[in-house]
Amino acid sequence: MTAAVELAGVTKRFGTFTAVDDLHLTITQGEFFSLLGPSGCGKTTTLRLIAGFEQPTEGEIRLDGDDVARVPPYRRNVNTVFQSYALFDHLDVSENVAFGLRRRKVAKGEITQRVGEALELVSLAERARARPDELSGGQRQRVALARALVNRPSVLLLDEPLGALDLQLRKQMQIELKRIQREVGITFVYVTHDQEEALAMSDRIAVMSDGVVQQLGAPEEVYEQPTKAFVAGFIGISNLLPATVEDGGLRLGTGALVPAPVPDGVPAGTDVQLSIRPEKLWIDELEDGMASVEGVIAERVYLGTTTQLIVELAPGSRLVALEQNTSRARSDDRWELGETVRVGWRPEHAQVLR
Amino acid sequence: MNGPDELRPAASPRATRGGYDRPRFLWAVTASVYLFLYAPIAVVILFSFNGIKSLQVLDGFSLQWYETFWNDEELRESLIASIQIAAITTVVATVIGTALALGTVRSGGRTGSWLGILLLIPLVTPEIVAGVSAFVLFAQLGVHLSLTTIILAHITFSISYVVVVVRGRLASLGTDREEAALDLGATPWQAVRLVTLPALWPAILAAAMIVFALSFDDFVLSFFTTGETPQPLPVRIYSALRFGISPTINAVGTVMMLVSALFIALAIALPRLLGRRESGLAVLTGSSR
Repeated sequence: MTAAVELAGVTKRFGTFTAVDDLHLTITQGEFFSLLGPSGCGKTTTLRLIAGFEQPTEGEIRLDGDDVARVPPYRRNVNTVFQSYALFDHLDVSENVAFGLRRRKVAKGEITQRVGEALELVSLAERARARPDELSGGQRQRVALARALVNRPSVLLLDEPLGALDLQLRKQMQIELKRIQREVGITFVYVTHDQEEALAMSDRIAVMSDGVVQQLGAPEEVYEQPTKAFVAGFIGISNLLPATVEDGGLRLGTGALVPAPVPDGVPAGTDVQLSIRPEKLWIDELEDGMASVEGVIAERVYLGTTTQLIVELAPGSRLVALEQNTSRARSDDRWELGETVRVGWRPEHAQVLR
Repeated sequence: MNGPDELRPAASPRATRGGYDRPRFLWAVTASVYLFLYAPIAVVILFSFNGIKSLQVLDGFSLQWYETFWNDEELRESLIASIQIAAITTVVATVIGTALALGTVRSGGRTGSWLGILLLIPLVTPEIVAGVSAFVLFAQLGVHLSLTTIILAHITFSISYVVVVVRGRLASLGTDREEAALDLGATPWQAVRLVTLPALWPAILAAAMIVFALSFDDFVLSFFTTGETPQPLPVRIYSALRFGISPTINAVGTVMMLVSALFIALAIALPRLLGRRESGLAVLTGSSR
């Protein structure tokens, strides 16, 4: 099967600024693919390169196997959902959705039918005659989605499409988008800076910073096994402890020697960072084979379903731990501030980052 | 946030729309400004219906000054000439100005912004300088002065106004809609025609309104570029004044205001007739959404 989108050594420079740096990406047919990163990381530029709004300085962009680097946007079989929605205010909802089909000279009857189907898909059939400024933010978002999907592009590009919606609506639309993507089976390339959004919807995530993909993988992979400190820090909360590789484990900055999955080929004496997710940490009541360190409870924050504990190992060296508030554990009075505890984790849950 | 206001008993009879009492003298200031703006105009209109030949005393009602105006063939021709000049100037300047605005904004880069700055220079050039230079230019080229030369001069200085108004709107619209159109398969030309121009309409009408008003009552530029006959109305009035002021001037003034007002009314009504909510006037007064 040919890849839906393939970027081969794509570089985009604006003057002296390099927005995208020698990017290689292969996105397969029917995949929900996310480009995740902070603002300025090059994710939106990458999307605009695929859409055709920008030309690459170097490299090739292939859509369904054809090189399109020099093809203008109106001759590419991709459609975009813009962050601002970019609806045409002088046209009503159905005319907005029909815009692409009209340009492609699709027969009148077919236009009516496909516009109806598209509006049905986004549950907006009854607002077909409304003007964009009569719609709520969520409805405008759906119109933008229908306007792009109705053309049955081989790839749908979404540029932070939920960014302007409030939290509850955003959660709802995440589920909705995923459903629509499954129904239509079109390849989605989704740009976002919201890690939760990317984790919730994507088949694969490319975490970007400084115009480069830092890590590429399934949501579980980039969350559970970050390969770089940037990825560990950007996706979720991560504890990063400076350490040095020794025979049989890592010597932490605090002096403790702990077992750790040191990758092959990392010689003793190398300075690394140990990354552990807060929910992987146990406090007291440890099991055999766990790595552990001693610390003092410095802060306790009740968060509803969890309690966040900040454990100080040494001055300036802290671990954040999340404990579930299940019926078995009453975290509100389990640990006192200033109490000395043992914090432990399974060695395989920690990542050694260079 | 008007929650607390609703709970509070209506103790103060004074306006509290903004949540606080506004000082009353603001009303007085506003009223005086409007009085200052409109009193001279009201006087002109009032005296145009005067029953006697006086510029100081009102006595009775008559349409005699309108009759004198209408029966004065030269004045009548001048009015028609002025309307012609303003109409043609408006159409040509609006088309060229809109195209220039699109070009300078969307071409981007340094060239676009320099061209944009150059277009602003006519706005700050004293009109007398523009008038003299236009006169010298036409004289050197050996062009016979006529309505055409006036129109050419008017178009030249009107283009800048159109560019300023339309470009402001264009910049605030952003490029998203155009990109969306391209993305949906429209060629660049189709994107401008089907998406950008419809979004620009209110601004284009507003620009046309300004150009018409400026051209219709322009004196300085017209004075330097006019031929023998017919002269545009302001120039004609000026030459008539040299032979003493007749109350006819009030009737002429009132008619001129009426023509301008009609054009503005048209600019407001047109978008509404076409089913749009935003008028050119809204763009000018800043009440546009």
